[in-house]
Amino acid sequence: MAVEDSSITSESATVGLPDTLWVHLSLVVSIVLMGAPLLLALLMSTQSTAQIYDVTNLAPGGYALENYQSALFEYDLARYIVNSFVMSIIVVVGKVSLSLLAALAIVYYDFPYKDAIFAFVLLTLLLPVPVRIVPLFELMADLGWANSMLAITGPYIASATAVFLFRQHFLSIPSSLVETARLDGVGPIEFLVDVLVPMSRGMIAGVSVITFVYAWNQYLWPLIVVSDQQKQVVQVGISYLQSASQAGQTQWGLIMAGSILALSVPLVVLVALHRPLLETFALQQK
Amino acid sequence: MTAIELDSVTKRFEDVTAVDGISLAVEPGEFLVLVGPSGCGKSTTLRMIAGLETVSDGSLEIGGERVNGVEPKDRDVAMVFQNYALFPHMTAERNMTFGADAARDISESELSKRAAEVAEMLGIEDLLDRKPAALSGGERQRVAIGRALVREPSVFLMDEPLSNLDAKLRIQMRTELASLHRRLQTTTVYVTHDQTEAMTLGDRVAVMNDGHAEQVAPPQELYDRPATRFVAEFIGEPAMNVFPVEVHGDSVVHDTGLEVPVSADEMAAQDGIDAADLGVRPEDIGIAPLDDAPAGTCTATAEVTVTEPLGDSLLVHCRLGDETVQVSTTPRATFEPGERVALTVDADRSHLFDRETGEAVYHAPKTAVGSSEDRTQRADAVAPGAGGEEIQ
Repeated sequence: MAVEDSSITSESATVGLPDTLWVHLSLVVSIVLMGAPLLLALLMSTQSTAQIYDVTNLAPGGYALENYQSALFEYDLARYIVNSFVMSIIVVVGKVSLSLLAALAIVYYDFPYKDAIFAFVLLTLLLPVPVRIVPLFELMADLGWANSMLAITGPYIASATAVFLFRQHFLSIPSSLVETARLDGVGPIEFLVDVLVPMSRGMIAGVSVITFVYAWNQYLWPLIVVSDQQKQVVQVGISYLQSASQAGQTQWGLIMAGSILALSVPLVVLVALHRPLLETFALQQK
Repeated sequence: MTAIELDSVTKRFEDVTAVDGISLAVEPGEFLVLVGPSGCGKSTTLRMIAGLETVSDGSLEIGGERVNGVEPKDRDVAMVFQNYALFPHMTAERNMTFGADAARDISESELSKRAAEVAEMLGIEDLLDRKPAALSGGERQRVAIGRALVREPSVFLMDEPLSNLDAKLRIQMRTELASLHRRLQTTTVYVTHDQTEAMTLGDRVAVMNDGHAEQVAPPQELYDRPATRFVAEFIGEPAMNVFPVEVHGDSVVHDTGLEVPVSADEMAAQDGIDAADLGVRPEDIGIAPLDDAPAGTCTATAEVTVTEPLGDSLLVHCRLGDETVQVSTTPRATFEPGERVALTVDADRSHLFDRETGEAVYHAPKTAVGSSEDRTQRADAVAPGAGGEEIQ
């Protein structure tokens, strides 16, 4: 039987080639379409302004080093990348710790209106930072946080999404584990550190990646609340590049080099932690 | 050694009463088994003793102290769960020591010494460095039991600890648990839905139904003198046959004309009831071809419907009037479905149950526990398979 089966499959594979060919062709086209902006950016970051304006010229130019060097040091992108990195790390650590504690409380403690409080936490999803930008700005000004690292990290520390993800994950941990710990007199913080965190490693890594990329890509809020260019983040830094022009022409090579630099850091994080990230999303689908 | 006492303990979940005024006394060092069908409240009772569920009503004492509002960790109990409840990220050794580490001040070296001792006792010395994922079901359960042992609690609570194991391993672990308890003599409350497990492990067994204890007694007494029809049908495999009869002074009569004598003295005490349910175990009914039928009152004609060879005995399902009666007989007897046979009830091993309340109103004299006569009689009268049924 097995032999027959395999002969049938190999036969149909050769006969059915035109079908699969179309499928593969359309897949290749869509991948190229999706990858085109990135590939073009990578290409343009090696070209001079003149080469870029010559639209048909798709050969890599020889200006890569010059473009990257000037973006990094002349236009201070190196400093902005460091700022962005520090901001993102603070947001990731703050968000994960706070969300773990919140999920711990919501899942393992009994208190009145627990469900209502969780619903209220979820409700904050309807009010992202851009919606609250004016009152938030006032608040930062009142607190004296404006134009500081606190201003660009503080508002992002609380996260309904992360609380929700951790809550779902904690609920999937068998209750007998919690009960064993209760019988043994394991305290809540000990339980969090020795049991929940090690058992949630994949989820924590997944949430960290999402949070890191999200924090890294913040543009509007830092643009508004940080006035000191020295303290600015990389996304805003790219927009500074736009103002640099050469003989009235925007220096796209420089901007593309800046963009590639800006996306390389989250890309590295993403590649390094892609496995737990996929786990996180698989769990979400449950 | 610590005693546990439950006095009219009740547990209500909103409008459902899971445990309805149960009273139980567990002697120090005793192995008490709570057995019953699912939803009878046995696990809830255990969880109340552990402190994982609050007690809605009544009083719960451990070691002479009322513990109704006491936190689980302050009750000095250890529990073994059905799903083992091992921490997947910790090695077997860390799993065993983690709880004890948190529970009290014990030095690291003392703790690992104790874990090593327990591991040796359970035969898992070589597995201490492995994580639960690398252990088989039986090994995991050993680690879970080891964790409870390392704690050295005054009470062990076990919630269906063998249910996730395959049949062979379950029997092996059952024996090990029994010998472990003999060695340690720690008060143990054990929950199971498996009556064989209950009978083999328990010093005493509490049969639970609908949130209350039907009967609390040593295993053999449950089998020989069930207090209620529920216990009679729950304990014993295959289950006791129970069918309605009319009571005529010194005998009971079934519709088909089957007449079984009862002790008039005992029945007199029952204040003239005229109807009851007759209970007879499958091995206490004799079966013979019609032309071989023994003469006597306890005999009736029935038709064989199904035969089930069990190896050590043959289980014959017969139709007696409107009832289906199961008869256990010698393994190589030949009965064919459709055949007419004579059934003979052993009058000395019959029981009568009140039709309304299900309570036992009469046990035939030879069901008394422990008489030497009882033993020899059983050996003679009963098919060879019967003894095996009890200790399966």
